[in-house]
Amino acid sequence: MLQSIVHVCLAGLSQGMFIWLVASGLTLIFGVLGVLNFAHGAFYMLGAYFCYTVLASLGDNFWLGLIFGPLFVCAVGYFVERYFLRYVYHLDLPYQLLLTFAFVLIFDDLVKIVWGAGSIGSPTVPGLGGSVSILGRMFPTYSLFIIAVGPLVALGLWAALERTWAGRVIRAASSDREMAAALGAKVPLIFTGVFVFGTWLGALGGGLAVPYVGLLTPGMGEAVIIEAFVVAVIGGLGSLKGAFLGALIIGLLSSFGTRFLPTFDMFLTFILMALVLLWRPQGFFGEASR
Amino acid sequence: MSKKGLTRRQFVKAGLLTGTGAALGVGVLKPTGLWAAPAKIKGPVKVGYQAIMSGTLAGYGEFHKMGVVMAMEEINKAGGIAGVPLEVEFRDSTLKKPQAIQNARYFVDSWGADFLAGVDSSGQALALAPVMAQLGKPLMVTHAATEKLTEIEVYKKGIKEIFRICTPTYQDGNAAAFVAQGLPAKKWATISPKYEYGYTCWNMFKDTLGKLKPGVEFVAESWAPFGTTDFRPHINTILDAKPDGLYSVEWAGELITMIKQANQAGLFKKIKHIMLPVGAAMDVLEGLGAEMPDGVWISGRYFFMFPNDQRNIDWVARFRKRWNHYPAYVSETGYSAMYAYKQAVEAAGSKESNAVIGALEGMKMGSPAGERVFRKQDHQAMYEVPWGLTTTNPKYPFKVMGKQVIIPPSEFFNRPPFEGPNTHPPFKG
Repeated sequence: MLQSIVHVCLAGLSQGMFIWLVASGLTLIFGVLGVLNFAHGAFYMLGAYFCYTVLASLGDNFWLGLIFGPLFVCAVGYFVERYFLRYVYHLDLPYQLLLTFAFVLIFDDLVKIVWGAGSIGSPTVPGLGGSVSILGRMFPTYSLFIIAVGPLVALGLWAALERTWAGRVIRAASSDREMAAALGAKVPLIFTGVFVFGTWLGALGGGLAVPYVGLLTPGMGEAVIIEAFVVAVIGGLGSLKGAFLGALIIGLLSSFGTRFLPTFDMFLTFILMALVLLWRPQGFFGEASR
Repeated sequence: MSKKGLTRRQFVKAGLLTGTGAALGVGVLKPTGLWAAPAKIKGPVKVGYQAIMSGTLAGYGEFHKMGVVMAMEEINKAGGIAGVPLEVEFRDSTLKKPQAIQNARYFVDSWGADFLAGVDSSGQALALAPVMAQLGKPLMVTHAATEKLTEIEVYKKGIKEIFRICTPTYQDGNAAAFVAQGLPAKKWATISPKYEYGYTCWNMFKDTLGKLKPGVEFVAESWAPFGTTDFRPHINTILDAKPDGLYSVEWAGELITMIKQANQAGLFKKIKHIMLPVGAAMDVLEGLGAEMPDGVWISGRYFFMFPNDQRNIDWVARFRKRWNHYPAYVSETGYSAMYAYKQAVEAAGSKESNAVIGALEGMKMGSPAGERVFRKQDHQAMYEVPWGLTTTNPKYPFKVMGKQVIIPPSEFFNRPPFEGPNTHPPFKG
């Protein structure tokens, strides 16, 4: 029984950290730009495909793929923000949703044209492809790696936003666009930078998903983006702290639900979201009103 | 509009013929047989084909298309269907029921389809049955497998328009039980999809194996929702129950993910007998490559190595030449669906729905998968698909079937009237 609980816990943690990696970029973009980026799931998918292509063309080196793959997606993110998204910041939310959703459809079809509609199996990661025995049951080393990467990304983000000059400017621009601009901050440049960085986080999540999920398919971002949205809502839209906590809770809840309450596992997440919205509509760490 | 005109003209023509015949007297000109029917089929034979072409399962749509396009090219090069060309239009079915119904209506009402084919999801197939009855055009299902489609919609409710050319869940549930009967495993468990297809297969497997081998136990079930990317909690559930056999109708990408994660969790070292009713799909075998363990029981709706006859060998060679790919099972069922319509139209001498439905009922046809017979009562095609053990073969970059077992469809297909004694296997006498 202990063996089972420990393993369910570990599976939940790795699942949660994985959702966090995707949700972090989404939350950052919403927090600073105020845009609900539906295309984030598409960036995640592109991240996976670019990482795969880089690693396949550089002799199956996963780490090179993970370093260079997301950079291509950043270029795509720059293009999207600079030439499209920038023109709808001042419009209502539905316009932003429509535009970013359009990109989801475009990228899904582009992936089908470039990489084919079928699924692509991924190689295992050298050094992290095996399993370790924990209490007599095997657990994948790669999942332990994901459990470690999640908090590192969280720490890095926190340090960058709270402890650096650039982070201070970003926080200033997000709390009052006009005032920051009046004080000399180049707000459009900051917005582009944050969007590209958020895109990079999503693409990194996609790249890390390649060995985790084990295959690439067009539309692979759709399931993930829904979980990431739930996490962002529970944590408080725009709050990185909230997204981290939300991802942990959702990961553990779905893992324990599958094992011990299998009839309800699909509802648990949404029941939690409904309860949070009733009890604290702004989420765990959200501000009462923006 | 034009359809109306055509019917009226045919009606007038038939009336004239009959009139002339009557005037000339019986025996001089008898308006029967070829005379009464239009002498030749007018216009192309149009088939509306829908399959999933977007999202994570988009690869299946491509596989359908490869088979159908190849059939169309071959048929038209050889003179078409009864002298007129075959035309096919494809539409993305997604996995949503309203989309499938909308596609069917578009095909018939706007595009002027004579026949429909395709459909991957069991839920969509069941939703389409009453719509097809209303539209009055045949639909040849090439992938959706639920037995309820043919047992209830066709047999019980009498919806004549539905046919199925692929093996139904009998292959996944009943035939699997016949194979499992011969294995030493006594305790079985499942990880299967949390929807209609998963439930119906596992219940059938339990039911049939329980009758074939009294004393087997079914110790755990874990249901994975559509879109699952993390099977670890499910694998934990199964390992906790300590079964000696695992049965799973996970399919496509999710099956690939499950096998990889089960490998990492050491599941195949703990559980010796694995049965994957749709594990012989090409996307799964190619996606897993060497990561598919040896000695796993797999099956599907068709496997390119069976039957080992000239017709199939030639077809696989032509298919590889055309697409640079081994044929997936939906490529074969899509391909053969076109030939089924060709044979039925030519036998009926008409593309009119009732005539074609009549020709299809009980029709025997040769196909790459071997000889098929459409059972008259439920419109289900009966043909052989092997169950086999995975093995490494240096000729292929993926695992293939080594040892193969064939169970005759007459022994494991449920029989009409589908209720009461001796309608479910094992059959007496």
